[in-house]
Amino acid sequence: MEGLLELEGLTRRYGALTALDGLSFSVPAGQVVGFLGPNGAGKTTTMRAVFGLTDLDAGRVKWNGAAVGQAERRRFGYMPEERGLYPAMLVGEQLEYLGRLHAMSAHDAAAATKAWLERLGVADRAGSKVEALSHGNQQRVQLAAALVHGPELLILDEPLAGLDPTGIDAIGDVLVEQARAGCCVLFSSHQLDQVEDLCEAVTIIDHGRLVVTGKVDDLATSGARRLVVRVAGDRDASWACNIAGVTVSEVDGGAARLVLDERVDSDSVLRAAMGAGRVTEFVFERRRLSEVFREALA
Amino acid sequence: MNGPIILVILAVVVALRVWLRRRRRSNRNQSRAPAGSALLKGDVGLVAAREVRERVRGKVFRVGTLLILLVVAGAIVVPVLNSGKSRPQRVGVVGAFPAPLREAVVASATSVGITVHLVPEADADAAHRDLRSGRIDLAIVDGRELIVDKAIGSAVTSTTAQLVLSVSKNLGLAEAVESAGLSATQAAELAGAKALPVKSLQPGTAKGATQTTSTVGLILVFIMLTQYNTWILIGVMEEKSSRVVEVLLAAMRPVQLLAGKVLGIGLVAFAQAALVVAFALGLAEAVGSDLLRGTAPLVLVSTLVWLVLGYAFYCWVYAAAGSMAERQDQVQSLAVPLSLPIIFGYVMALIAAGSGSPSTFFKVLAYLPPTAPFAMPVLVGLGAVTWWEFAASAAVSIVCTVGMARLASSVYRRAILRTGRRVQLRELFSRTA
Repeated sequence: MEGLLELEGLTRRYGALTALDGLSFSVPAGQVVGFLGPNGAGKTTTMRAVFGLTDLDAGRVKWNGAAVGQAERRRFGYMPEERGLYPAMLVGEQLEYLGRLHAMSAHDAAAATKAWLERLGVADRAGSKVEALSHGNQQRVQLAAALVHGPELLILDEPLAGLDPTGIDAIGDVLVEQARAGCCVLFSSHQLDQVEDLCEAVTIIDHGRLVVTGKVDDLATSGARRLVVRVAGDRDASWACNIAGVTVSEVDGGAARLVLDERVDSDSVLRAAMGAGRVTEFVFERRRLSEVFREALA
Repeated sequence: MNGPIILVILAVVVALRVWLRRRRRSNRNQSRAPAGSALLKGDVGLVAAREVRERVRGKVFRVGTLLILLVVAGAIVVPVLNSGKSRPQRVGVVGAFPAPLREAVVASATSVGITVHLVPEADADAAHRDLRSGRIDLAIVDGRELIVDKAIGSAVTSTTAQLVLSVSKNLGLAEAVESAGLSATQAAELAGAKALPVKSLQPGTAKGATQTTSTVGLILVFIMLTQYNTWILIGVMEEKSSRVVEVLLAAMRPVQLLAGKVLGIGLVAFAQAALVVAFALGLAEAVGSDLLRGTAPLVLVSTLVWLVLGYAFYCWVYAAAGSMAERQDQVQSLAVPLSLPIIFGYVMALIAAGSGSPSTFFKVLAYLPPTAPFAMPVLVGLGAVTWWEFAASAAVSIVCTVGMARLASSVYRRAILRTGRRVQLRELFSRTA
């Protein structure tokens, strides 16, 4: 599978409120892309727009260079933010039904349902009603519903919300596996550390506009340099506060996390630290995703 | 009693399955790229098949069907038990009772459809005792005095009362003939007098059997329209509130989901109605009920026709309403105004069926799609419509149904994905929507 999802100038207004404001970015196949932004940034609206679930005032959604229509959407998988399954329908029958709505034969839908329920560790619940399942298992079934027809593009709105670490690992593994198999995977999340573990690339939006997009590695190594400095006996890193071009981003248990301006020479920082006491740690660090996020939105 | 229900339902489900499999097979041979009409039908069929499966599986459906069958069985069997099989009336005779009087009594009984047994009594006291104990229903003393246990009011229509009134009249006549001193020939002529035929300016009104059939049909239409439209209302609302609609609409168009839903529930409704009618016909035949004689079968057929037309009209309205709500309390505020035309049509039709003479206003109701499903079958039962009037009303209903379906799909498409508070109609058609 090869695919490329392109969003071009998506605009959506609700009366006076502008949810999407000329948003453009693309999602290539083969990697897990995290979709980030503060609450109300327009993430859900963007995802819904891909499936035609929200009317756009302007802009286009393209898949492999062509406008997305009904036939393309059948080959996409969607996990909405507020989970969507028939509460009183049996898990197995529900997944088969959704598979068939995505143009699978009855036989293929049944086989895929069985395989996915086994893969996600809920095979024994195929005969249960969805409403009888725990939150974590409902989430697994919801993921299976997005995957059952073997989609080329997978869009998941907060798939990790409210899961325990086992659940996060299980779903995270599936997402990475799908991306490796050539699927295009875009998912939104608030938990930045989880996104950092799972994603090769992120797209951050705010107020319906693109803020930053790129590979996590590139984003982490770009921008201002970061230093972690530990001085024995020093708890509050007061020595670093007065160096021009250096900002203390945080102090955690004696380790000061410093952000260096371009004009600052790291040697001068080292000298200042040595002046304050014995230096026990002096490390250049990558930017954390949370920092990328905060700085991008600042 | 579950047997026939399950059979009919199985037949519908199997037919749907076979049809869908054929569709799928033919689809597979075609190119899959465009979402052509074949795929469209396939989706609608899938949605409809799911509705049928889930609904028929539900307890509500099974218990409901059983209840309707019980009511119908009651409506057919109870009148049979009450009528026709009335016991012979026993008439005690005291003193002289010449043959002409005896013949007059038997003739009176025959004229009201009753058989009599004459019981000789020793004297008036014995007759009184037997009257009190209920061993006899009427005593005739010396051919000139009639005695019953309890006084008979003018409104009483019991078998005994009919017999007593008839005997009283005929014995009175016999006495008059005797005292007038008429010859035997003249007396016989008088006795053989026939009532003059009466012509009427208006056609006769339905009575008895047809009226009951009309009423039972009305109740059936009312129950089914209410029940299945509520299913649609709640079903659409639940799809919206559970957000499953987002997953579904990511793969198909709103109108496909809507059409599949109303088709599926409609199939269940029609299968149930057909089962009830088949059951009614079979049972009526078996117990020899006269409920299905005369114009009654016509009433039944038109009831079925109007059940389909009524469902087709209302289902869209209810689906659109369901798409505007996502909570039970929001649904209630919509369901009440929607049910008013149904209740109005039902009550007006019950009144008209009871009175036997439809007003002009009622005839107008028979041409309005919301009330026609109730009014038209009643007019058919009363013999107050021609076939072309029936067809005209059906045509009006079909045209309005098409319009309603379009309007409802438009409302549904705009409202089904809006969450939060209840969607107002004016929001749907304003420019910012």
